[in-house]
Parts: sequence; C-alpha cells; structure tokens
Amino acid sequence: MKWEVRCRETWLHETNPSLKLIVLVVLFFAVLFIHNPNVLINVSLALFVLFCFGTGYPANVLFWLFLPFFLVFVSTASSMMMFGEGTTTWVRWGLIHVTAESFWRGVHIGFRALALGLLGLIFSLTTRPVPLFYSLMQQLKLKPKYAYSFLAAVRLLPMMLEEFQTVRYALTVRGVPNKGVLSKVKRYAIPLLSQSIRRAQRIAVAMEAKQFSGSGQRTFYYEIGFGKYDIWLVALFAALMFVAYYMGVHYPYISIRDVR
Amino acid sequence: MEAKTKGLKLADILTTIVIAIVFGIIYKLWGPLYSAVGAVGFHLDQLIYGMWFIASSLAYLLIRKPGVALLAETAASAGELITGSQWGLEVLIYGVVQGLFAELVFAVFRYRRFDVFVVSLSAVGATIGSLIMDFYKGYIGSLAPWNLALFLLARFIGAILISGVFAVSLAKALEKTGVTQMWRTASKDDYDALNR
Amino acid sequence: MKQAIVIDRLRLKFPGSDGLLFRDLSLSIAEGEKVLLLGPSGCGKSTLLQVMAGIIPHSIDAPMKAERLERPERWGYVFQDPDAQFCMPYADEEIAFALENRSVPRREMPARIRALLDQVGLEIAPHTDIHTLSGGMKQRLALASVLALEPDVLFLDEPTALLDEEGTKAVWQTVKQVGRGKTVIIVEHKIDHVLDFVDRIVLFGRDGRIIADGEAKAVFSDYKDVIAAEGIWYPGVWDDYDRTARRRNRHQGEELLRLSHFRGFRGREAKIYVPKATVHAGEWIAVTGKNGAGKSTLLQALMQLIRTDGEYMLLGADIKRQHPLYRHIAFVFQNPEWQFVAHSVREELAYSLRLEGRPEAEIEETIACLLREFDLVEQQDQHPYQLSIGQKRRLSVAASIVAGQRLFLLDEPTFGQDAKNTFALLEMLEAHREQGAVIMMVTHDEQIVRRFATRQWVIEDGALVRDEQLEIREPVLTEGGAGQ
Repeated sequence: MKWEVRCRETWLHETNPSLKLIVLVVLFFAVLFIHNPNVLINVSLALFVLFCFGTGYPANVLFWLFLPFFLVFVSTASSMMMFGEGTTTWVRWGLIHVTAESFWRGVHIGFRALALGLLGLIFSLTTRPVPLFYSLMQQLKLKPKYAYSFLAAVRLLPMMLEEFQTVRYALTVRGVPNKGVLSKVKRYAIPLLSQSIRRAQRIAVAMEAKQFSGSGQRTFYYEIGFGKYDIWLVALFAALMFVAYYMGVHYPYISIRDVR
Repeated sequence: MEAKTKGLKLADILTTIVIAIVFGIIYKLWGPLYSAVGAVGFHLDQLIYGMWFIASSLAYLLIRKPGVALLAETAASAGELITGSQWGLEVLIYGVVQGLFAELVFAVFRYRRFDVFVVSLSAVGATIGSLIMDFYKGYIGSLAPWNLALFLLARFIGAILISGVFAVSLAKALEKTGVTQMWRTASKDDYDALNR
Repeated sequence: MKQAIVIDRLRLKFPGSDGLLFRDLSLSIAEGEKVLLLGPSGCGKSTLLQVMAGIIPHSIDAPMKAERLERPERWGYVFQDPDAQFCMPYADEEIAFALENRSVPRREMPARIRALLDQVGLEIAPHTDIHTLSGGMKQRLALASVLALEPDVLFLDEPTALLDEEGTKAVWQTVKQVGRGKTVIIVEHKIDHVLDFVDRIVLFGRDGRIIADGEAKAVFSDYKDVIAAEGIWYPGVWDDYDRTARRRNRHQGEELLRLSHFRGFRGREAKIYVPKATVHAGEWIAVTGKNGAGKSTLLQALMQLIRTDGEYMLLGADIKRQHPLYRHIAFVFQNPEWQFVAHSVREELAYSLRLEGRPEAEIEETIACLLREFDLVEQQDQHPYQLSIGQKRRLSVAASIVAGQRLFLLDEPTFGQDAKNTFALLEMLEAHREQGAVIMMVTHDEQIVRRFATRQWVIEDGALVRDEQLEIREPVLTEGGAGQ
C-alpha cells in the first residue's frame, strides 16, 4: 500500500532535524505571544509561501494538505467572532453578538491556528523519521530505547493500514451491522490493537535478542551533523520574524495593535 | 531472578508507542470530524474533544506503569504530527501538557487504581491541561460567560465519557484477548509453586 | 566435548497457569551440535529455546529456577513471524542496528552489510524496503542481522512456519551453509528439509518431559508413530495419509455459479478478470498462481467486497439479488483472528445464527454439534484469541459455515497449520463438498491440489488464464485403509 507521496528533496530536507525542530518550537511560542494581528498576518503569509515553494511537493498534494487547515481557520475564527466579549457592537442576533473586538480577535486566532498548523506541516513534510530519530539521539541525547521504539512503531504503520482494510472486509463478511460511532471504533480497535500489541511485544524481544541494551555505548550507521543549510534555516527564520514584525508595526493593515 | 531494570522496559515503551500511534491515526481522522461538528456551533465539537485524551488512559490501563500515560499522549501527538495534523506543531505541545496532567492523577493514586473513577479523573486532568493551553492560544477567557460555561461543560463531559468510561470498556475487552498477560506480574504463589 | 549449553533440573511456570511447564528438566548440548527439538504444540519447546538463550528471564518474565544453567555468550535467535522481528524500514538499516548494538565502527558497516547479505544469498541492493521482500527473503534477512552478532550458537524458532515451500527451501539451504561450525538448535514442525541437517533429535511429550533424545535418524524411525500423531510434517507424511484416506465420491450436481466477463476493481483499475466459467455443486476448485497474481482479489470479488462488473449468477439469480451474501457464501480469511467478532468460542459460533434470528433451542443444538465436529468442546468458553493456532483456524471455519452456505471461499486455510490440523480441515471440507457445496480455495500446496481438487484455476497477472478439470487421483488403498 502506498501511503507516502514521493516528493522532490529541498534544502529543508537537508537541514539538521533536531535544529529544525527547535527552531520551529521557538517560533511556535513566538507566535503564541504575538498579539498584534498585523504582525501575525505577515508571519502566516510568509510561512504559506515557504509551505508552497519550500517543501518540494506537487501543487495538488499541497492543496489537499492545506484544505483542513482552512477549515480550522474558519471554525476557530467564527466561534470567537460570534460569541466573544466586546464593547463596540456590530451585530446582535439572538445569542450571537459580534463586536469589533471579538471580530478581530477571531481573525487573529484564526491566523494563529493557520501559522501554527503551517509550522507543523513544514516540519513533517520535510523530515523523514529515520534521520529525525538518529538526530534526536545524537544531538538531543534521546535514549535509544525510545528512539528505536518509535522507528519500529512507524514501520508497523503501513501494516496496520492493510489490516484495517482486512478487518473492514471481515466485518462485512460476517454481516456485522454498521451502527454507532463508538461501537464501530471498538469493533476495529480490538483486532487492530491486540494484533499490534502482540507484534510490538515480539519486536521488543527480537530487538533485545540482537543485544540491544537501550542505553550505553553504541555507534551509529548514520551520522547526522550540521551543514550550510542549517545556517540558512536560522537566518531565514530570524529574517522572516524581523521583517514580519517591522512591517506589521510600521505598515499595518488595520488599526488594532493588540487584540486582548 | 535477575535484577529488574529501573523504569520502563523496552517492551513497555514499544507497546505504548504502538498503541499511541494507532490512536495518532484515529486522532488525525478525528480532526476533520471535530471541525465539521464545530461548524454546527454552540461548542458541540467540545463533546468529542475527549477522544484526544484516550491514548494515555488506555495505555495506562493496559500496561499499568508510571510514565506510560505521559509517553502515550506525547507519542500519539507526535504520530498525529508526522501524519500531517491540521493543527500542526501545536498538537505536540498540547500532547505533552495533556499527558502530564493525566499522569499526575495516576501518580496521586500511586499507580494502584485502574477503575472508571480514577481514569475519568485523569481525563478531567487532561482536560484541564488542554484548557490551560487554550487559555493562552485561543483567548477562551474572553468568551461571554454563558458561552464559556457551555464550552467547559461540554469538554469535561465528553472527556469523561470517551477517555474515561469508553477507555475502560475498551481495556476490558482487550484484557480478554490475553494481550496484557505479560504485564500482570507473577504472584508469590507462582514462585512458591516452583519449590513444591 | 565442551558443552555449549547445560540445563540442570529446570523448573518453570507461567504466571496464573496451573502446574509447572517443566519439572526438573535436564538437557545439555555440546558445541557444534545440530539439534532439533520436536514435540506437540504447547509442550514448551519454544519456551525452552528462550530459556537457553536467556530471553527468559531477561526480556520475558516467568517464574523459574534451575540447579545449574549455562548459557552461551554469543548467540543469535531467529523468530517465527517475519513481520515481528525488524525495527527499521530498510534492509541495510536493520543489519546496521545489530552492528550498532555491538559498537562496530561506522566506516566498517557498509562492507559488512554487503558481506552478510551475500552470505545469506540475498541478491538485493542493501537499501531495499523490507516491505517489498517475500517471507522467505525476510527470514534470510533476519538470519543476516543475527549473523552480524557473530554468534557461536544459533537458535531457530520455527523460522519457516509462515513461509511457502519455496521460501522454506531457501531458508534451510542458507541455514545449512551458515550453520557450519556453529551450534544450531531448532524448533520446527515441518521437518522435511531439516532431517538431513541435524545430528540429534530431542522429542518432548505433552507434559513437557523428554520422551527420547538421541541420534536423529534413529529417533525418527523409532518414534515415527509419536511424531505422526503430533501432527509434525515429516517426509512421506502424505503417503501415510493416503493409506488411511477413504474413497471419494466425485458426483457433480446442479449449476451453482456462472461468471461471464467478470471483473473486480480496486479503485478504478480492474485487478481480476474471468472470461467465462460455470461451477457445479460438488466441485473443489484450487486457485493457484504466483504471489500478487490476483488470487485473493478473485475471492474478494466473488464475495463482493470490491466493486465488480460483468455477469455473476449465484444459485440461478443475479448476485445483486442474493444479498445479504453471507447467507450463501462462507469466506475464510488467511488470518483467522480478523474475522472473530465475539468474546467466546460459543458466542462466535452463535453469532451468524443470532443474526438470522433463529430460535434459541435450534442455536444451542447447532453449536453443540459444531463444537463436537470441530473438536472445540473444551474451549467453548475461552476467548477466540486465546486459542492455539490450529483451534483458531477450526473455529474460523466453523463460524463461517454455520449458516449452511453452498459456496466456500478460503484463502490459504492450511497456511502455518500442522499436519494433523491440515488433514482434519481438508476432510471436513471434503465432507461438505460431497454434500453439494463448492469449495474454492487459494493454495500453494501441490499436494493438496493433487489429492482434493477436482479442478484448477490458474491466475496470472490478474486474469484467469487456465481452467482445467483434474484427473481423479484415488488414494492408494491398502488393507483396512478404506473405512473411516
């Protein structure tokens, strides 16, 4: 079963995964503390450009990946717009009360959700699991016990997807009625989980049988180091934040500076 | 007997992560459903928010060791992130905080209770964790009071039903399949039987 | 001679089970010996292998003690399930994992990986996705990564139980080469290819005690009855089976199935095509062909699990008017666990009947009958997942055919089964065939095709390319062998 879309490798693929993770987490918190919608809109747009041209995926794939983000944008924004508190009333219709403050606050958290989503997507589109966990072990001293467990589990993913299909067939064959969300979750979860759990236990035994100790000295088949693209990465994001901030403060789209 | 290794064994970790990744996929599928329900409005989506805490409850119920709840929730969110979650990096940080709060509840009961009450309480813990994050990210504090109350009520009830009650029934069903046998440690009787 | 392994008075018990698995078991194995451990399933052979390697108690906890226990320093262990012993996605990374564990310097790794792949006869690029390998290749890769540990002792725990004939041959050929000069300890149910390799056989009884221990050929010939009774696949097992099998009734009945320009789709692509075929009651069709040719897809198309077009008549009516199909067609999956839907053997059998709304008294009666027919009376209250592999298979078949279906679709139902279970299952299907059912079965086993099938369908590249009636091959009848 093909579940991985082939893509062109870009320079973002070449950066050190641990560094990329740290940079993006820092950005994540930075975005959380931006309360000026002008700055946030700039950041979101910049990330959107990077998402479109920096990840190396074809346009149709990017479109389908982006669609749910748009949904999140709308749903996050709308609920704050309609029910948030504020003083300058625009519309009042039953329980719905749109104020200027709540409207811009809604727009702001919509863009925030969008920016955070793009950060994650840029990371997952340009990072392969094996280099990621090798890098986490080498740069961030993640214990091999955890790193290899993750890798083994990721390897099981395509198998689980195939099994999911088989269980679906089996339930049809046995004439199991198709109703209730939770009872359905259970019908699928029990065969899938019990199979996966037993497989996980066996893999763990097999790994220890290959003298895997989970800690202590070991060598690495892949050395993950740093290169010129890592400097690009840090420089790009620093520049991005600076420009977004500068432009947002000096050339604002709207007059509101703080949505709180 | 050889000396027991401290902390989680490889099999514990690997199994926890595998369970978490199964739920990571469910979480990923849950996202669009959540957004669709959210479009209805009135915070109906909050009723199904509780699904995002189930990995920690279930892993804890099956493996019954310290640290498992936190690891499961973190790994599930990492799995959700890797498969391209619509919330992006945020899920990872939410995952850690939610797992931490769920873990805290189990720790308070000294990892000795595995009943609906404690598991529901951990779901409440995870909910509080998620709310702390929301407070910063989504400015939920500035929702109208009646609306905020509805929001909170829906999220807590959903969490208790899904990650508390439903998780326990799922764990019981899995227990019957025999996959948890390796974590139910041998009793003293078993060792005594060797000398009989 | 120097001993590689010494076990003196081992006692072992599984938590919660009654009684000990081993009571004062003693066994020693000399360096360089090739030993086969034989015995019925559940006698503890695999457990003993794990104790010898130290997997118990290092990785798996079980209450045990022994007066003396000497285990090898350097050992390697190949497990049964090809999909449950790798932790990395690519072949080179998997071997590298073992090298990393031993702190082999990185610059030496590529050359070693290539050498190890050559040693087990895998002519693949090192960076090959493990998913794309066949079962036999996976097991040889497992062997390669174990050899990376430079072991003195090799433990092989039914490494070919889940492989087809071709894979089995390749694996044993490799083991014979790489096993030279090493101690090799094997647990296996299919011993055709192992018998000329081992020097010694240790035969276990049901209670975990050693019945016989000695030179391989001698133990095999002296204890052949015991070995046969335990369902072990030994050379000549089919000839022995023929001597006891009864004469078969080859009468064909009315038309049951008619296909014409029948196609099955995955997505938009047609994956299986049957130009024209009619099938009559009392036929046994063996569906054969290479891996990935479309055999399972054919069964799925007939069960309407995937979208189909063309003519498909079942019992004289269009398939669209025969819903729900599970009343007419029984479908048995390769892995029995997938199709279990209840929490006990009884409930599993009752499931389809309850769905049909049959009266409770009738259900009880049918279940009692099936439990006896399929030898599951003692297990009736157990959870289906807790059964042995043979019991699971029997249950999956019993639960599928309970509603009296006429068409049986089976996807390699004898895969991974021991000889006893295989024969029992085939006999049972044969009985239903004689009563007018149609058996359609995907199989790789030439022996089954020759003995049971009345007809063979060969699938190639997603199409039925050959459809032939098979010559009736009557079992060789000897005195007293005709009855049952």
